[in-house]
Amino acid sequence: MTVTSATGTNRIVRPRRVVRSGEGKWAWLLVGVVAAVLLIWEAAVSWLQLVPAAFLPPPTEIIAAFVRLLGEPEFWQAFVYSMQNLLIGLALAIVVGVVVGLAVGWSPVLRFTVAPFLWLLYSTPKVALAPLFILILGLGNESKIALVFLLAVFPIILNTMEGAVAVSPSLVSAGRVFGVNGVYLGWKVIFPATLPYSLSGIQRGAALGFTGEVLGEFLGGTGGLGHLLEFAAYQFMMAEAIALVIVMVIIANLTLWLISTLRRRLAPWYDDRKIVGAS
Amino acid sequence: MTTTIEPAEDEASVSSLISVRDLTVSYDVARTGKKLVAIEGVDLDVREGEFVTVLGPSGCGKTTFMNVIAGLVKPTSGQVLVAGEPVTGPGPDRAVVFQDYALLPWRTVFDNVKFGLEMQKALKGSGWRDRVQEAIELVGLSGFEHSYPRELSGGMQQRVGLARAIVAEPRILLMDEPLGAVDALTREVMRAEIEKLIAATGKTVLFITHSIEEAILLGDRIVVFKSHPGAIKEVIETGLARPRSERSIQSDPRFLELRDHLWDALQGEATAAAVSK
Ligand SMILES: Nc1ncnc2c1ncn2[C@@H]1O[C@H](COP(=O)(O)OP(=O)(O)OP(=O)(O)O)[C@@H](O)[C@H]1O
Ligand SMILES: [Mg+2]
Repeated sequence: MTVTSATGTNRIVRPRRVVRSGEGKWAWLLVGVVAAVLLIWEAAVSWLQLVPAAFLPPPTEIIAAFVRLLGEPEFWQAFVYSMQNLLIGLALAIVVGVVVGLAVGWSPVLRFTVAPFLWLLYSTPKVALAPLFILILGLGNESKIALVFLLAVFPIILNTMEGAVAVSPSLVSAGRVFGVNGVYLGWKVIFPATLPYSLSGIQRGAALGFTGEVLGEFLGGTGGLGHLLEFAAYQFMMAEAIALVIVMVIIANLTLWLISTLRRRLAPWYDDRKIVGAS
Repeated sequence: MTTTIEPAEDEASVSSLISVRDLTVSYDVARTGKKLVAIEGVDLDVREGEFVTVLGPSGCGKTTFMNVIAGLVKPTSGQVLVAGEPVTGPGPDRAVVFQDYALLPWRTVFDNVKFGLEMQKALKGSGWRDRVQEAIELVGLSGFEHSYPRELSGGMQQRVGLARAIVAEPRILLMDEPLGAVDALTREVMRAEIEKLIAATGKTVLFITHSIEEAILLGDRIVVFKSHPGAIKEVIETGLARPRSERSIQSDPRFLELRDHLWDALQGEATAAAVSK
């Protein structure tokens, strides 16, 4: 006994991302503006000498420094050092953040007792604690990892918490009707329903964590991109310093892009425009 | 031929599979701090294998009533017994088709239907795949196994919810407007399928609907709810022979009589509800 539905023979076409026809034009405009700014900058420094090149090196010099940097093993050592700390700190923050966020979001008791403190801590400028961390944990990796963790964990906790609160009660009812209880309810219903929120928190956390890593290296460190940057600035090698900043911008944006791609992959059912404060 | 609509006999016997005793449910409305009485003093006995349809104006407490039987909402007072045991929570003997579908958006149609028997022993064997596939075919969604709910129309999603409820073959099916979002043609086919399925398996069904025709066509008995507060207005035995086809029944005098009666009953309710607002 089969029923042929009215639509049974049609295949569903998955919605594709709409490419607006004007978008290409705007991209070209952006490229044009950037090119114009670089050209004016080059002209002002190299040809008109309005600004001393020692303070503001021209774009060509920065590009040369950038290329030189990529050829230096010292740079790659610093890169690995920074990324390692970032990844360890972020991994810890993700595990702790998701678990704590789910628990606090799901338990009304915890939500009313713990959540206000989490919001308070979130809005506290934790960067101010950086010197303290370095004093206590030393100049090595530990202080950087701790700083990454501290900065990354709060957005992850708070977003996961918000997600857990927003889980549709009817999904929970469906779980209960079909015998999904306790840990299983958490694993099969609450966690997947919260995942898009968690990923949004992780995205924010990663950006803040990277700031923490660089800051830690800057304030007192023996390695990493922040340390290199501090060294370059101290030596008054402005082109190198700016090239390093550009590297950091690239890393930060790649991380954001990676996580938002991940979010689209892992949670395609979720329209990310619905997430408040997604960045 | 009798021309009067007799109330169905209230047989409060031990043989009833579901018995609802003086059930009252009130909700605490956090915003106003008041209590909202959703249903009050409801009594109903449902025999094993009976198909009971529930009709009533919007907001009269039909979903609330069903949720108590499902074990999702606790009675404020009164009691619900299923097979003689008081209901303390959901159980594998009862499955629900939700009014708002309640599908898991991260699961495909196949995996959503599988959710219906996931926590049961049934999944340990190997036959469960066939059972899931059968349920999907039954609701006419073959070919959509790998689609996600967001890619389906409302009516199709509702049919996924139906497949999920029947896949584990529960003793009692609680259906909250399961054909509400389905187009007229599909609804007619699905209605016939539900009737056939129930006849073949002897399931006990509580079926909420807004459609008077549907209530008559499917029900052995029709429970009419009234609102403010929600309560049973009357219970009517349809007394129509099965199988019933929508076409042939249209001219059946008993059908017409029932339909007119229900129209009047509901219209009175709807007017009362509108006036009280
Ligand atoms: N969780 C809840 N908290 C507070 N009030 C509720 C809750 N659920 C339902 N109600 C209220 O109880 C009453 C009955 O609701 P219910 O959903 O049972 O009606 P219904 O008959 O199923 O309506 P419809 O036909 O529109 O689905 C309504 O007034 C509703 O506002
Ligand atoms: Mg309802």
